[in-house]
Amino acid sequence: MAESARWLVPRTGALRRGGRGLPGLWRSRTGTLGVAIVAVAVLCAALAPVLAPYNPTAAQFSTTLRPPSAAHPFGTDQLGRDVLSRVIFGARISLLVGGVTVLISGFVGCALGMLSGYLGGWLDAAVMRLADVQLSFPFILLALTINAVIGAGLQTIMLSLVVAGWPLYVRVVRGEILALRHREYVQAAIATGARNGRVMWQHVLPNVATPIIVVSTLQVSQFIIAEATISFLGFGIQPPTAAWGGMVSDGRNYIFFAWWLTAFPGAALALTALGVNLTGDWLRDTLDPRLRT
Amino acid sequence: MAVGGLGPGPASTAADAQAHNQITIGIGSEPLTLMGATIVDWTTNAQLENIYDLLFTRDPKTEKIIPWLATGYRILDDKTWELTLRKDVRFHNREPFTAKAVKFTFDYLLDPKNKTHYLPRFKSVSGVEIVNDYTVRVHTSEPFPAFLDNVSLPGPFMLAPEYVQKVGIDYAAAHPIGTGPYTFKEWARGQSLTLAKTPSYWAGAPAIDAVVFSVIPEFSARLAALLSGQIDIMKDVPPQAVDTVNRSGRATVRTTVSSRIDYLAFETLHPGPTQNAKVRQAINYAINVDELRTSVLGGMATRICGYVGRYDSAYDPAIKCYDYDTKKAEQLLREAGYDPAKLTLTLDTPSGRYPLDKEVSEAIAAQLNKIGITVHVQVNEWRDHLDKVINRKAGDMFFLGWGPDLQPIGTVDQLFVGTQTYSGFDDPQTDAMINKSVQIVDPAARNAAFRKIQEALHPMAPWVPLWNQHDLYGVANWIAWAPRPDEKVWMWEAKAK
Amino acid sequence: MSRYLLGRAGQAVLAIFLALTVVFFLVRITGDPVILFLPQDVQPKDIVYFRHLLGFDRPVWQQYLSFLGGAVHGDFGRSLRYRTPALSLVVSRLPATFQLAATSLAMVACAAVPVGIASAARRGTFVDNIGIAATAAGQAVPGFWLGLMLIWVFGVWLRWLPVAGYGGWTHFVLPSLTLTAFYAAQIARITRSSVLDALGQDYVRTARAKGIHERGVLARHVLKNAAIPIVTVFGLNAGQLLGGAVVTETIFAWPGIGQYILNALRGRDFPVVMVGVFLTSAIYILVNFLVDLSYVWLNPQVRYG
Repeated sequence: MAESARWLVPRTGALRRGGRGLPGLWRSRTGTLGVAIVAVAVLCAALAPVLAPYNPTAAQFSTTLRPPSAAHPFGTDQLGRDVLSRVIFGARISLLVGGVTVLISGFVGCALGMLSGYLGGWLDAAVMRLADVQLSFPFILLALTINAVIGAGLQTIMLSLVVAGWPLYVRVVRGEILALRHREYVQAAIATGARNGRVMWQHVLPNVATPIIVVSTLQVSQFIIAEATISFLGFGIQPPTAAWGGMVSDGRNYIFFAWWLTAFPGAALALTALGVNLTGDWLRDTLDPRLRT
Repeated sequence: MAVGGLGPGPASTAADAQAHNQITIGIGSEPLTLMGATIVDWTTNAQLENIYDLLFTRDPKTEKIIPWLATGYRILDDKTWELTLRKDVRFHNREPFTAKAVKFTFDYLLDPKNKTHYLPRFKSVSGVEIVNDYTVRVHTSEPFPAFLDNVSLPGPFMLAPEYVQKVGIDYAAAHPIGTGPYTFKEWARGQSLTLAKTPSYWAGAPAIDAVVFSVIPEFSARLAALLSGQIDIMKDVPPQAVDTVNRSGRATVRTTVSSRIDYLAFETLHPGPTQNAKVRQAINYAINVDELRTSVLGGMATRICGYVGRYDSAYDPAIKCYDYDTKKAEQLLREAGYDPAKLTLTLDTPSGRYPLDKEVSEAIAAQLNKIGITVHVQVNEWRDHLDKVINRKAGDMFFLGWGPDLQPIGTVDQLFVGTQTYSGFDDPQTDAMINKSVQIVDPAARNAAFRKIQEALHPMAPWVPLWNQHDLYGVANWIAWAPRPDEKVWMWEAKAK
Repeated sequence: MSRYLLGRAGQAVLAIFLALTVVFFLVRITGDPVILFLPQDVQPKDIVYFRHLLGFDRPVWQQYLSFLGGAVHGDFGRSLRYRTPALSLVVSRLPATFQLAATSLAMVACAAVPVGIASAARRGTFVDNIGIAATAAGQAVPGFWLGLMLIWVFGVWLRWLPVAGYGGWTHFVLPSLTLTAFYAAQIARITRSSVLDALGQDYVRTARAKGIHERGVLARHVLKNAAIPIVTVFGLNAGQLLGGAVVTETIFAWPGIGQYILNALRGRDFPVVMVGVFLTSAIYILVNFLVDLSYVWLNPQVRYG
């Protein structure tokens, strides 16, 4: 579609007077909250061995399925492992899944989107139809096939998400470029004989950067949640590694009588995704040139 | 959070069910076809069992073979079985059950065009000869001592020849006619199968008027349906949920020792540490099976030490279990040339196929970790798991179950001979013993021979034998029905309390 | 316009054909289905025999050509598990999915769009903040967890609604609530964002300066211009829902196409998988096409030709 893809990037109005960069953060309540949550998650991931009271993979058969208590604030799971420690360590997997996959699919999608939007023609049609095929492809089949080739585990999850995620970036970037292509300064640059590559690098890329950044934060939260859905479908992280999505999925058989197995990792998932979403909204407001009037 | 208690709500559905005298069974997947003698699949056969009958069936307590549609058998020679059939039995459409039905069923089952899953199981049968209306002779191309055992398990169910020939296989597969205690009423694909009682059932009309099989794929939703009264019976309640169900006031958990066994097999058919018998023995000593049984399964399993289950006719109580002895384990490993701290093994497991299979595998890994061995647990999708085992691509050990395990043919000969599909082990001497023993026609002699084979296998430790699993059924309080070891959910046995 | 339509139709056929081909070869990578069907006491040579009976020992390209030959006539073969024609099996599951999708989409539209508009109109206020937080939260909760919680509260605890299954209107409530939570959050955010965008346009400032009533400004110009992105995302969601919400259908035992395809994939039932992919990609492409057509009506400046 020829429309600008700015609509894909929701905006918060919580920022009253547009401020640039971090000083403006304090004025956005939701933005502050978002960044704070993400900071906590990153801290957990980085300092997990220090923060976690127990070994997350140490099975203790004498204390299986204990509800939250002083010794185990989040309870223990079906093999006696401490849920709090597993939640803290689980941050690593979730941030890995969210962060790295978005980086890779974003890179691929943006590159394709730029080429497609800028060069147009048959390349554009081909890329768009490929994106269509990709989007109408059942995600499960994708995961299953990748699983058959490289075996279950973290690599399957990440590869599946990368392959499933790139069409969104193509759409966003291409839309922006189609809108930008007709701007005066781009036309001027082309008229003065600048090569395509230079035009793209100097003029197009900086403008595309903003929506890409914000879309990426949305994707991060979506992918973090997707880890849970993938575990539900049966392609989760291999035991005994702790992963929030895997814990929620494994715990769902116990959900009616050992609620702590799903509640705490589920809350961690939801809060982190929320934090990333709020951060993305704040970034959008900060970086959007149109709000600075 | 009062997790176990149930809040206010409409009047007890149990009372409603009782008034209507209908049992609703919650089941995880729908039947694949309603034609008998076609598919080997527990879900399908559990439902078809109520519509059709077998020639022979099993006693619910002892699992001994008892006559059903057939009244008796004679072995004429080692390639001919003569069966006498029950008189005055009719199909639901009043068509009489005679020898023609037996011949038709076997012809259908063996015809490659129909691609039934029973073809491999009965391929030694060369034909069925009708002697008279109530006598048939089954001819086999080679001695088939397991014939009776196979025919008494679901489900070479007896089909109605005139009906199937008249309406065609496709229609008959969606509108079944059998001789069983319940008559087909309606099949809403993917949702439910509704049956109504056959008042003229030859063994006596069932006490329950109607049976509905309701498809609820997600386990927690099924449990919720049991707790809310939407269903009356469900299979495979996990041990940890037993308290919740028993406190609900609506249903209780009834258990039985199942004829299905679970075990950890060593993959010795590709190079690896487990090819060394000392390593296998060491692992046997290092795994505390009783702890697995009590903490992971809540005691809901009956340990086995040999290579068949407790309901198997060749079960040998004399085989001693490996004790839990970590010192001995470490010593054996060192003798085999391995340092436990440097040893890394892989364990392949399915997830959700057998009770707590993944959890048991993780627990085994944790136990081996206590003596320093690093174990990578690889959780596989069911089909991938089977594929790995069949193609000998599994890791050093794999978790598997086998059942119903009622006799050694179909168990020992399948699992310990290297050329067989699901085996992880081979030894030329026991191969020779097994090949001789499968030919023995006399059951007592055959069972004795297989006990000897197990004794020969024991020092070679091809498995870490685990247990006969317990089947835990959640059953509504108003129903009088006891679960069976052979996993049949046969509603003819049920009645209101 | 008719040239455009023809072009799109051609592209649609090509896309569906591509999807089918890719899936055909990919499912075969996941391995052959034969072992899943046979009893555990099956001999290796019986597996080979069955593979031959089912036609899986033919070279792949030959299987592909014979599949195409049948597909063109609407014959996708028989389901390997159910043994009945795959096409009619899958099609029979569509009504349940469509009904759930329609119910959920209606609920989403009724709930999310007004919330988004209200949020945009009251930007920066308490109402807006609540809206942002709620929608951010709605997108942050795993669907199956929400579904199970709803089952526990309304099905087991209060016993107001049935736990699972397909039936009267009471069976629709919980599954559509589960679906609506996620999609409504998304649509509300998009609505808010695009309405804010539209409100910031020059012509709105002009209209305000002219003194045209606020309500009139919103209704006539803004909504129509804001509608394009909303309709786009709504279309994406509709495509997904019509293709079957796998997780929700599994949890609530809903006999829909999503759960059906998942089971077919798990059971390596290739013919059913192929029909499933064919139908879902056709649905998705059709919905996309309708959305693109709607642009013409919503924004007269958009032209196709």
